[in-house]
Amino acid sequence: MNLHKYEKIWLIFGIGSLAVFLAVIGFAAFWKGTHPQSHIETIDPQNVEAHEAFKPENLGLREVADGKYTVNIIASAFNYDLGKDENGNRVDTIRVPRGSTVLFQVTTPDVVHGFQIAGTNVNMMVEPGHISRYETVMKNNGEFTIVCNEYCGIGHHLMFGKVEVYD
Amino acid sequence: MKNKNPKPQHTKSNESTIHFKGTFIAVMLLGVIMVASWFGVYALFLSR
Repeated sequence: MNLHKYEKIWLIFGIGSLAVFLAVIGFAAFWKGTHPQSHIETIDPQNVEAHEAFKPENLGLREVADGKYTVNIIASAFNYDLGKDENGNRVDTIRVPRGSTVLFQVTTPDVVHGFQIAGTNVNMMVEPGHISRYETVMKNNGEFTIVCNEYCGIGHHLMFGKVEVYD
Repeated sequence: MKNKNPKPQHTKSNESTIHFKGTFIAVMLLGVIMVASWFGVYALFLSR
């Protein structure tokens, strides 16, 4: 087979990039622990409160260990339920110190929603009947907006929350 | 009437004289842009 010299270089470049990208997948999956957000864990969408994590008293931010937090959220049209504070008021901001490991657990009783914390890697789809999880280290301080990035109905643009990372 | 001077047929030796340098530079440029932008986005993912 007679291949042009340039064609050989191009083929080496193409196959080389394929090998590099495969290595990156291995690095991401086994070294960095990057996995899909949905773990095929199901939940009854008609009765999400029956699940331990989504009981009304367990919603919102909880410190599970030193520097480790869990945030349980019910996303519904058109609101993120981040729990209630000690005065019984609705929480709209999650406050965590910088460098903490935060596990977000989100589900929905109605339609498909998005859960993105703009400016971070937290970005997942929230489907009725499933629990979406994403664990992240909050490396940078600042205010990050939680936005719904899956069109969920007429009030879609009103669906947001806030995460504040402080020093 | 037969053509006394038929056009030369495309032969192997003819093909090798076609210049591919521009094509090569164009595809390599495209390939480098694709790989570089991919790693740029991945670096952004790792930094966040």
